[in-house]
Amino acid sequence: MTMGPPLRKLVLTVHVTCSVGWLGAVAGFLVLAVTGLTSQDAQMVRAAYLATELTASAVIVPLCFAALLSGLVQSLGTRWGLFRHYWVFFKLLITVFATIILLVHMQPISYVAGVAADGALASGDLQRLRIQLVADAGAALVALLVTTTLAVYKPRGLTPYGQRKLRQQRRARLLHSHQ
Amino acid sequence: MSHTPMGPDHQATASTPAWVKVFGMIAIVLALVIGALHLTGNSLGGPGSHTLPVERGVRQP
Repeated sequence: MTMGPPLRKLVLTVHVTCSVGWLGAVAGFLVLAVTGLTSQDAQMVRAAYLATELTASAVIVPLCFAALLSGLVQSLGTRWGLFRHYWVFFKLLITVFATIILLVHMQPISYVAGVAADGALASGDLQRLRIQLVADAGAALVALLVTTTLAVYKPRGLTPYGQRKLRQQRRARLLHSHQ
Repeated sequence: MSHTPMGPDHQATASTPAWVKVFGMIAIVLALVIGALHLTGNSLGGPGSHTLPVERGVRQP
Protein backbone atom coordinates (compact mmCIF):
# COMPACT_ATOMS: atom_id res chain seq x y z
CA MET A 1 0.00 0.00 0.00
CA THR A 2 1.42 3.37 -1.03
CA MET A 3 0.82 6.36 1.23
CA GLY A 4 -0.53 9.64 -0.11
CA PRO A 5 1.76 12.71 -0.11
CA PRO A 6 0.46 14.30 3.16
CA LEU A 7 0.82 11.09 5.16
CA ARG A 8 4.17 10.32 3.51
CA LYS A 9 5.51 13.76 4.50
CA LEU A 10 4.25 13.30 8.07
CA VAL A 11 5.92 9.88 8.45
CA LEU A 12 9.09 11.24 6.83
CA THR A 13 9.14 14.15 9.31
CA VAL A 14 8.73 11.73 12.23
CA HIS A 15 11.46 9.46 10.83
CA VAL A 16 14.00 12.26 10.22
CA THR A 17 13.28 13.81 13.65
CA CYS A 18 13.68 10.49 15.50
CA SER A 19 16.78 9.43 13.54
CA VAL A 20 18.61 12.74 13.96
CA GLY A 21 17.44 12.94 17.59
CA TRP A 22 18.88 9.46 18.18
CA LEU A 23 22.20 10.58 16.68
CA GLY A 24 22.27 13.67 18.91
CA ALA A 25 21.36 11.70 22.03
CA VAL A 26 24.17 9.20 21.35
CA ALA A 27 26.60 12.12 20.92
CA GLY A 28 25.46 13.42 24.32
CA PHE A 29 25.85 9.94 25.82
CA LEU A 30 29.41 9.73 24.43
CA VAL A 31 30.32 13.04 26.10
CA LEU A 32 28.92 11.79 29.44
CA ALA A 33 30.73 8.42 29.13
CA VAL A 34 34.05 10.14 28.34
CA THR A 35 33.52 12.57 31.24
CA GLY A 36 32.76 9.67 33.59
CA LEU A 37 35.88 7.86 32.48
CA THR A 38 38.33 10.76 32.53
CA SER A 39 37.14 13.24 35.14
CA GLN A 40 39.05 13.49 38.43
CA ASP A 41 36.07 15.09 40.19
CA ALA A 42 34.12 12.37 42.05
CA GLN A 43 30.87 14.37 41.96
CA MET A 44 31.22 14.91 38.24
CA VAL A 45 31.85 11.17 37.66
CA ARG A 46 28.78 10.28 39.72
CA ALA A 47 26.59 12.81 37.91
CA ALA A 48 27.86 11.71 34.49
CA TYR A 49 27.03 8.01 35.04
CA LEU A 50 23.62 8.81 36.51
CA ALA A 51 22.93 10.93 33.43
CA THR A 52 24.09 8.16 31.04
CA GLU A 53 21.40 5.81 32.34
CA LEU A 54 18.74 8.49 32.18
CA THR A 55 19.76 9.50 28.65
CA ALA A 56 19.85 5.90 27.46
CA SER A 57 16.54 4.77 28.95
CA ALA A 58 14.48 7.96 28.53
CA VAL A 59 15.84 9.28 25.22
CA ILE A 60 18.01 6.84 23.24
CA VAL A 61 15.86 3.68 23.54
CA PRO A 62 12.53 5.42 22.69
CA LEU A 63 14.10 7.32 19.77
CA CYS A 64 15.77 4.13 18.53
CA PHE A 65 12.45 2.26 18.36
CA ALA A 66 10.62 5.26 16.92
CA ALA A 67 13.27 5.63 14.18
CA LEU A 68 13.11 1.90 13.37
CA LEU A 69 9.31 1.81 13.29
CA SER A 70 8.88 5.04 11.29
CA GLY A 71 11.58 3.84 8.86
CA LEU A 72 9.70 0.57 8.33
CA VAL A 73 6.41 2.43 7.73
CA GLN A 74 8.14 4.94 5.44
CA SER A 75 9.79 2.31 3.26
CA LEU A 76 6.84 -0.08 3.12
CA GLY A 77 4.38 2.75 2.48
CA THR A 78 6.30 4.18 -0.48
CA ARG A 79 7.64 2.75 -3.72
CA TRP A 80 11.14 2.62 -2.20
CA GLY A 81 10.24 -0.66 -0.50
CA LEU A 82 12.29 -2.37 2.18
CA PHE A 83 14.34 -4.80 0.10
CA ARG A 84 14.38 -3.15 -3.34
CA HIS A 85 17.29 -0.74 -2.90
CA TYR A 86 20.63 -1.64 -1.38
CA TRP A 87 20.83 1.62 0.58
CA VAL A 88 17.44 1.04 2.27
CA PHE A 89 18.37 -2.56 3.03
CA PHE A 90 21.75 -1.58 4.53
CA LYS A 91 20.07 1.13 6.60
CA LEU A 92 17.63 -1.44 7.96
CA LEU A 93 20.44 -3.89 8.80
CA ILE A 94 22.50 -1.23 10.61
CA THR A 95 19.46 0.06 12.55
CA VAL A 96 18.35 -3.43 13.64
CA PHE A 97 21.93 -4.32 14.65
CA ALA A 98 22.32 -1.03 16.59
CA THR A 99 18.98 -1.64 18.36
CA ILE A 100 20.02 -5.15 19.46
CA ILE A 101 23.44 -3.94 20.67
CA LEU A 102 21.78 -1.04 22.54
CA LEU A 103 19.37 -3.35 24.36
CA VAL A 104 22.16 -5.79 25.25
CA HIS A 105 24.27 -2.94 26.65
CA MET A 106 21.50 -1.35 28.73
CA GLN A 107 22.41 -3.72 31.58
CA PRO A 108 26.06 -2.56 31.92
CA ILE A 109 24.89 1.06 31.65
CA SER A 110 22.42 0.55 34.53
CA TYR A 111 25.00 -1.34 36.55
CA VAL A 112 27.64 1.41 36.34
CA ALA A 113 24.95 4.03 37.12
CA GLY A 114 23.80 1.97 40.11
CA VAL A 115 27.32 1.74 41.53
CA ALA A 116 27.77 5.48 40.92
CA ALA A 117 24.45 6.22 42.66
CA ASP A 118 25.63 4.31 45.74
CA GLY A 119 28.62 6.64 45.77
CA ALA A 120 30.95 3.64 45.62
CA LEU A 121 32.62 4.35 42.30
CA ALA A 122 36.31 5.13 42.78
CA SER A 123 38.40 6.34 39.85
CA GLY A 124 39.80 2.87 38.98
CA ASP A 125 36.57 0.88 39.54
CA LEU A 126 34.85 -0.97 36.69
CA GLN A 127 37.47 0.44 34.33
CA ARG A 128 36.84 -2.03 31.46
CA LEU A 129 33.08 -1.58 31.70
CA ARG A 130 33.48 2.21 31.63
CA ILE A 131 35.80 2.01 28.61
CA GLN A 132 33.21 -0.26 26.97
CA LEU A 133 30.52 2.43 27.39
CA VAL A 134 32.76 4.93 25.56
CA ALA A 135 33.58 2.43 22.79
CA ASP A 136 29.91 1.44 22.36
CA ALA A 137 28.79 5.05 22.11
CA GLY A 138 31.58 5.81 19.61
CA ALA A 139 30.63 2.80 17.47
CA ALA A 140 26.93 3.73 17.63
CA LEU A 141 27.75 7.28 16.54
CA VAL A 142 29.70 5.99 13.51
CA ALA A 143 26.87 3.58 12.60
CA LEU A 144 24.27 6.37 12.81
CA LEU A 145 26.42 8.71 10.72
CA VAL A 146 26.61 5.96 8.08
CA THR A 147 22.80 5.53 8.05
CA THR A 148 22.31 9.31 7.82
CA THR A 149 24.77 9.51 4.91
CA LEU A 150 23.00 6.64 3.13
CA ALA A 151 19.62 8.37 3.59
CA VAL A 152 20.90 11.67 2.19
CA TYR A 153 22.97 10.37 -0.75
CA LYS A 154 20.73 7.39 -1.63
CA PRO A 155 23.45 5.62 -3.63
CA ARG A 156 22.17 3.81 -6.70
CA GLY A 157 21.71 0.07 -6.82
CA LEU A 158 18.76 -2.27 -7.00
CA THR A 159 18.81 -5.61 -5.21
CA PRO A 160 17.95 -8.72 -7.34
CA TYR A 161 14.46 -8.52 -5.76
CA GLY A 162 14.21 -4.83 -6.71
CA GLN A 163 15.28 -5.57 -10.30
CA ARG A 164 12.64 -8.32 -10.57
CA LYS A 165 9.96 -5.97 -9.23
CA LEU A 166 11.01 -3.23 -11.67
CA ARG A 167 10.80 -5.65 -14.63
CA GLN A 168 7.30 -6.71 -13.49
CA GLN A 169 6.19 -3.08 -13.23
CA ARG A 170 7.55 -2.28 -16.71
CA ARG A 171 5.79 -5.32 -18.20
CA ALA A 172 2.54 -4.31 -16.49
CA ARG A 173 2.87 -0.74 -17.81
CA LEU A 174 3.58 -2.03 -21.32
CA LEU A 175 0.54 -4.32 -21.24
CA HIS A 176 -1.60 -1.48 -19.93
CA SER A 177 -0.47 0.89 -22.71
CA HIS A 178 -1.29 -1.70 -25.41
CA GLN A 179 -4.84 -2.22 -24.14
CA MET B 1 13.49 8.53 2.31
CA SER B 2 11.55 9.88 -0.61
CA HIS B 3 12.60 13.55 -0.71
CA THR B 4 14.78 13.19 -3.74
CA PRO B 5 14.53 14.54 -7.26
CA MET B 6 15.31 11.06 -8.54
CA GLY B 7 12.41 8.75 -7.73
CA PRO B 8 12.71 5.13 -6.71
CA ASP B 9 11.58 3.81 -10.08
CA HIS B 10 14.15 5.63 -12.17
CA GLN B 11 17.26 3.73 -11.18
CA ALA B 12 19.05 1.80 -13.88
CA THR B 13 19.18 -1.96 -13.47
CA ALA B 14 22.76 -3.10 -13.41
CA SER B 15 25.07 -5.54 -11.69
CA THR B 16 25.93 -5.08 -8.01
CA PRO B 17 27.36 -1.56 -7.56
CA ALA B 18 30.93 -1.13 -6.29
CA TRP B 19 29.81 0.65 -3.11
CA VAL B 20 27.67 -2.36 -2.15
CA LYS B 21 30.68 -4.68 -2.54
CA VAL B 22 32.82 -2.35 -0.39
CA PHE B 23 30.05 -2.12 2.23
CA GLY B 24 29.65 -5.90 2.27
CA MET B 25 33.38 -6.47 2.68
CA ILE B 26 33.60 -3.94 5.55
CA ALA B 27 30.59 -5.62 7.24
CA ILE B 28 32.16 -9.10 6.92
CA VAL B 29 35.54 -7.87 8.27
CA LEU B 30 33.83 -6.08 11.21
CA ALA B 31 31.72 -9.16 12.02
CA LEU B 32 34.83 -11.39 11.96
CA VAL B 33 36.85 -8.98 14.13
CA ILE B 34 34.04 -8.56 16.69
CA GLY B 35 33.38 -12.33 16.73
CA ALA B 36 37.09 -13.12 17.14
CA LEU B 37 37.49 -10.57 19.95
CA HIS B 38 34.53 -12.00 21.84
CA LEU B 39 35.60 -15.63 21.31
CA THR B 40 39.16 -14.96 22.47
CA GLY B 41 37.95 -12.92 25.45
CA ASN B 42 39.73 -9.77 24.29
CA SER B 43 36.66 -7.58 23.93
CA LEU B 44 36.68 -4.41 26.00
CA GLY B 45 34.46 -5.89 28.67
CA GLY B 46 36.59 -9.03 28.81
CA PRO B 47 35.25 -12.61 28.71
CA GLY B 48 31.51 -12.64 29.33
CA SER B 49 31.48 -8.86 29.18
CA HIS B 50 27.71 -8.76 29.17
CA THR B 51 27.61 -10.61 32.46
CA LEU B 52 28.02 -8.04 35.17
CA PRO B 53 30.82 -8.28 37.73
CA VAL B 54 28.39 -8.61 40.62
CA GLU B 55 26.73 -11.59 38.94
CA ARG B 56 30.08 -13.30 38.41
CA GLY B 57 31.04 -12.58 42.00
CA VAL B 58 34.03 -10.59 40.82
CA ARG B 59 34.50 -6.97 41.71
CA GLN B 60 36.88 -5.40 39.21
CA PRO B 61 39.83 -3.52 40.69
